Amino acid sequence: MTKLRTEGLTKRFMGLVAVNDVSFSMEEGEILGIIGPNGAGKTTFINLVSGIAMPSAGRIEYKGRDITYAPAHERARMGIARTYQLIHPLENLTLLENVMVGSIFARGNGLKEARRKAEALCLELGLADLERETTRLTILEIKKMEIARALANEPEVLFLDEVMAGLNADETKDLIATVRRVAKERRLAVGVVEHVMGVIRELTHRVIVLEAGELIASGPYEEVSKNPRVVEAYLGGAAVHA
Amino acid sequence: MNRNLSRALAALALAVAVALPAFAGAYPLQVARNIIMYMALAVTWDMLLRSGQISFGIAGLFGLGAYASVLGVLRAGMPGWLSIPFAAVFSGLVALLIGFLILRLRAMYFSIVTLALAEIFRIVIHNLHDFTGGPEGVVLQGVIFGGDAGKLYWLALAGLAVALGASWWFENSRVHYALTAIRNNETSAKSSGVNIFRWLLVAFVVTSSIQGLLGGIYVQSYGFATPESVFDANFTLLPLAMALLGGVHSTVGPVLGAVLLGLAAEWLKLKIPYGHLVVYGVIIIIVILFMPQGLLGQARAMRRSADKRRKA
Repeated sequence: MTKLRTEGLTKRFMGLVAVNDVSFSMEEGEILGIIGPNGAGKTTFINLVSGIAMPSAGRIEYKGRDITYAPAHERARMGIARTYQLIHPLENLTLLENVMVGSIFARGNGLKEARRKAEALCLELGLADLERETTRLTILEIKKMEIARALANEPEVLFLDEVMAGLNADETKDLIATVRRVAKERRLAVGVVEHVMGVIRELTHRVIVLEAGELIASGPYEEVSKNPRVVEAYLGGAAVHA
Repeated sequence: MNRNLSRALAALALAVAVALPAFAGAYPLQVARNIIMYMALAVTWDMLLRSGQISFGIAGLFGLGAYASVLGVLRAGMPGWLSIPFAAVFSGLVALLIGFLILRLRAMYFSIVTLALAEIFRIVIHNLHDFTGGPEGVVLQGVIFGGDAGKLYWLALAGLAVALGASWWFENSRVHYALTAIRNNETSAKSSGVNIFRWLLVAFVVTSSIQGLLGGIYVQSYGFATPESVFDANFTLLPLAMALLGGVHSTVGPVLGAVLLGLAAEWLKLKIPYGHLVVYGVIIIIVILFMPQGLLGQARAMRRSADKRRKA
């Protein structure tokens, strides 16, 4: 079942076209990699579908419903969640309270119910000592908290914007397993932006490649990574020799 | 501080506050009434600040409530007691209307607009001579409760109770999560489903209507209003200073700050008449420079570093 679909999605900033005529779709249970060189428009693309930025042209559909100009908080309630490349912890709330916010506002749960659900979610992600301030968390814990916060919306579509950045190899492995597990259990459609190709290869069912705002390729990683246009645009000379 | 101890202290403070007219004379009662009113204003200012919005418009909504109350009595024949909730509703409605316009603004822009609004309210009332009495103001036939000092004091205390009750609700309900999330990171808040505009509107309307209520209580207690008296900048500046001194983003901070600054101001008034505001200003500057988190924040930081030393 198609969860999210865009048609000719375009975002212009003054003269710059950050996202140019992108049409794609995401299916239930699918983990989709979104790759491309720096400045290709990956984050802008996520901003558009999550409602943080409004498109200049095109259309966004969520479960068949037009949400092109729906505000971000409404999309969160409908079931679209995301994390941010630059982490945004709510530093005046504890770890647990950070996770509660999505449950309270995106799901409309009361405080007790939200607390209970947030505790279960943190436990599921391996987060402990939940009354800590967010300034006391390790990087891995912060990343997990960001994912827990997004999952607290009880979404059907989840975008992870460079959630593995800054983690060491073991931590990355841990988080890949976590993401795969929560996505499978919830039948989530997940969009993953990552620069580490190992993560993309291991985690995703399919990737789309953006270059200068345009979608230049789509398909399984093994296939796309051999596409000459992708190799030239994104992976560069090193990959050609590899 | 442990929970039972702070509960006991709060109960004691409440008992003393309620029983004060039984053993205090007219002058201390008057001082207490004054402190209570500024304390309530300080709490309402802090309530909006919890969303990150700094308002300089307290005097505007306070003065508006004051005039709604006097004119309710003089022009609509309301009984004095009824004009006080009417003042709250009136300031709340005005806040609702202007909220739609100004709550898209942030930071300095929001602050400047609230300051300007207070001035606009004053000028409008100043110039609607026939209806508002213009610059000379208006005088009521008499003060509410026949000017009974004890009852006026309890009336002020009731106003404070409303402010504290609302602040407690803000701290212990989903409002707390909405406002804190908005203050910390709006983008994040949106992604968690927080309707930012709606919650800012709730905070702005609730705090403004309490400020209007306090304006109503004030004017009914003194029996007259002029644009200069009820839109006085002190109604903005003193509550702000009290909240900053005590510590922001809580109920306790502004309450503590109001007691300390209120008493200090009274004492300074006696020691150095006319010079007390200078000292007052110096206190505020010192606090902002050396204790930007206020006394409560300072205490918390000291406890935290003591904890750390114990662990080390």
